[in-house]
Amino acid sequence: MSKRSLLMAAFLSLAVLAAASAQPTPTPSNAPASAPAPAPAAPAAPTSTPASLDDRIQDAKADVIRLNRDLMVLEEELLFPANTQVAIFVSMDVGKMFSLDSVRVKLDGKDVAGYLYTPAEVQALHRGGVQRLYVGNLKVGTHELVAFFTGKGPHDRDYKRGATIKIEKGTDPKVIELQIKDSTGKLQPEFEVKVWQ
Amino acid sequence: MKRQSRRWTRIAALLAALAFTASAVHAQASGDSRPAGASLPSTWMDMSNWANWWPWRDSKPPLPTGVESPHYGDSLFYFFQGRYFTSVTRLMVSQQFGRMAPHDDEAEILRGGLFLSYGMHREAGEVFARLIERGAKQPVRDRAWFYLAKIRYQRALYAESEEALGRIEKRLPGNLEEDRALLQANVLMARGKYIEAIAVLEALAKGPGATSYVRYNLGVALVRSGDLTRGTTLLDEVGKLPATTDEYRSLRDKANVALGFASLQEGRGEQARVYLERVRLSGMFSNKALLGFGWAAAAQGQMKTALVPWSELATRDPGDAAVLEAKLAVPYAMADLGASAQALELYQDAIGVFDRESVNLDKSVSAIRSGKLLDGLIASNPGDEMGWFWSISELPEAQDLPLGGHLALLMATHPFQEAFKNYRDLLYLSRNLQQWQESLGVLRDMLVNRRQAFAERLPQVREKERALDLAGFEQRYEELKTELERVERDADAAAFATPRERDLQARLDRVREALERGGNDPELAQARERTRRVAGALLWQQNDQFSVRLWSAKKGMQELQSNLAQAQRRDAALAAAQRDEPARLDAFASRIDALATRVDAMMPRVAALTQEQQAAVQELAVAELLRQKERLVGYGTQARFAVAQIVDRASMAKETGRAPAQ
Repeated sequence: MSKRSLLMAAFLSLAVLAAASAQPTPTPSNAPASAPAPAPAAPAAPTSTPASLDDRIQDAKADVIRLNRDLMVLEEELLFPANTQVAIFVSMDVGKMFSLDSVRVKLDGKDVAGYLYTPAEVQALHRGGVQRLYVGNLKVGTHELVAFFTGKGPHDRDYKRGATIKIEKGTDPKVIELQIKDSTGKLQPEFEVKVWQ
Repeated sequence: MKRQSRRWTRIAALLAALAFTASAVHAQASGDSRPAGASLPSTWMDMSNWANWWPWRDSKPPLPTGVESPHYGDSLFYFFQGRYFTSVTRLMVSQQFGRMAPHDDEAEILRGGLFLSYGMHREAGEVFARLIERGAKQPVRDRAWFYLAKIRYQRALYAESEEALGRIEKRLPGNLEEDRALLQANVLMARGKYIEAIAVLEALAKGPGATSYVRYNLGVALVRSGDLTRGTTLLDEVGKLPATTDEYRSLRDKANVALGFASLQEGRGEQARVYLERVRLSGMFSNKALLGFGWAAAAQGQMKTALVPWSELATRDPGDAAVLEAKLAVPYAMADLGASAQALELYQDAIGVFDRESVNLDKSVSAIRSGKLLDGLIASNPGDEMGWFWSISELPEAQDLPLGGHLALLMATHPFQEAFKNYRDLLYLSRNLQQWQESLGVLRDMLVNRRQAFAERLPQVREKERALDLAGFEQRYEELKTELERVERDADAAAFATPRERDLQARLDRVREALERGGNDPELAQARERTRRVAGALLWQQNDQFSVRLWSAKKGMQELQSNLAQAQRRDAALAAAQRDEPARLDAFASRIDALATRVDAMMPRVAALTQEQQAAVQELAVAELLRQKERLVGYGTQARFAVAQIVDRASMAKETGRAPAQ
């Protein structure tokens, strides 16, 4: 029996060692005392690679993100100057009456944007996201915008609707939001165009 | 005194057993648990469910109408799709243009959260700290303190984390309050303040929706504080709770395995079996439970019973140390039961398995070092953007990586996931920089075209400008203005005569001349009288219309002035464009050059970091395999030793049998 105890002790020590080796730096926080917490909370996490490397990667990420910001600002200023810029957004309020498939936009009779939505994008719109569908340039003056929405309406029927608006372009950037709403009174979707001042 | 010492021994045993199970749960809670067949749990520190709850976990997702800046909504659109890189860069662009109002504070919280999700703790901390410094509203401030506390806890700055938690003024909304309490309990335990942690957890556990995690944490805190009885009772309760999700079933298994091994270490085999029997046969802890159950039976002298779980375990994937141990435990039991021949055979089988595994481990190590593991992982886990909750969902199936499966547990651990995520993020950054390098070339070409078009159009515009003679118009306007002032001053009604009136006036003048040539002829008297009357009527008519015509003339002059001013403005704008456009184009060119320099400098930096990180990730995997190899060597030695013992015993028995015969 003493041999058995010895073997069992060896087994337990091996098992605990194995656990310890999988968890190189056990600390109070990564003990199971905080079952849900310890995993990502383990302060030892970044030490899986040398701390200095982790720091340098953090710095590089921050620098690339800032660089991307500056590049996008340059691109926007160069391609879409404020005095001629027009941006068209799409948003969805509730959207139970309408399942969006695609949107097409005409400006002064010309097709300027068309978009087919993935389920993830529709979901993002449902949750409050607003998609910048188009950004371009327009001269000062009056213009006509027509938007077509295609999808499934009530009772899963194919649904296609349009919305038209005359817009007055001045020297400030123009922001237009195509809104998809549910009309609970009519039990139909509604499509509105909002011009932001 | 002896009793006290025994109590502490029991606590130590339970804590060791809890630590023993920690790594497995740690692995599961921190990432993909596919290798064990369990689903990904959502833990309160797990950023993977951010999109589900943060920063709106505390309330219903805002309706689009609640988003008062489409540009803020644009960032959310990508945030909700998990495209964090696009989300944060668009957000920062809109911040740069100042178009986030009135969501400035929310946007900052989102930005901080996105940084946190990239593992950019420093940047995230700075964002939250700035929000607090600039005196954001209390709810925003409270959330910022909470996230700061979380970051500090992750960085093992426990005192600072506790201080940040203390700065939260009011209850956080919704489930965030429970998260705060759990964080507080963890911080307190990390600082060894078990009694205070227990108070926090007890308050939580009394709540109607107290989760198993809260009870489990409370049980562990009690054990750590020395209250073994209550702690064990609570863990036992968790171990018996009906669990509806895989996450909770895993937690239940974890509690049972911990209690089982603690009992085993204390020599209470029967009790250990009660706990271990509750563990699922297919869960993440099943291998350990089977092994422990066998040892519990063996400790009670029931070797045949012990053989049942061990035999099952021995057939499983040898990637797990418990399985390798079972390969030794089975022949050990056989030998104990007197079946030396089978034991010998099984030991030799085990040695063969260990040797094959060892060779495969060597192959896997060299495959990993040649980059096959990471290439395979990247190929089987395509994903576009950086993000915290990206997790390894597929193991590479490479021929040269025969023991890829042995890395399953390692790959599910937080350190490996973090390291690999950094590697993947760096690859994404490389692609991003590459794209910008190409785009900058296009922008540069575009600028050249614009410069050329400007140079070509400028002479035409100047020619049109000269032909327009705006100065001549200005002079004529001034003359007209002076004339109008004179007409008004002199009340010169004739100045506003219509063409018909002017024609009439000319006829009258001609008639008068003819009448004057006729002298004082009395026959002309009637004609003179009629002429006088007509001239009077004409004068009367003009005087009658004078004020109307004057008003109309003034209005015309105003319009003229306005048009002239507009023309002057356009002329000035044209002049400014002529003067400024080259400078503007030069400024753009300089910006493009400066940014191109930054991109060029960044690319080798990212490439070097990628290489370093690749080596670091590979070494993590290699270290794990080498550890397994070391373990195999140990098991192999034990098996060979056991074989030698059996052979010795057999030879001795043979010799003993032969001796009496002689």
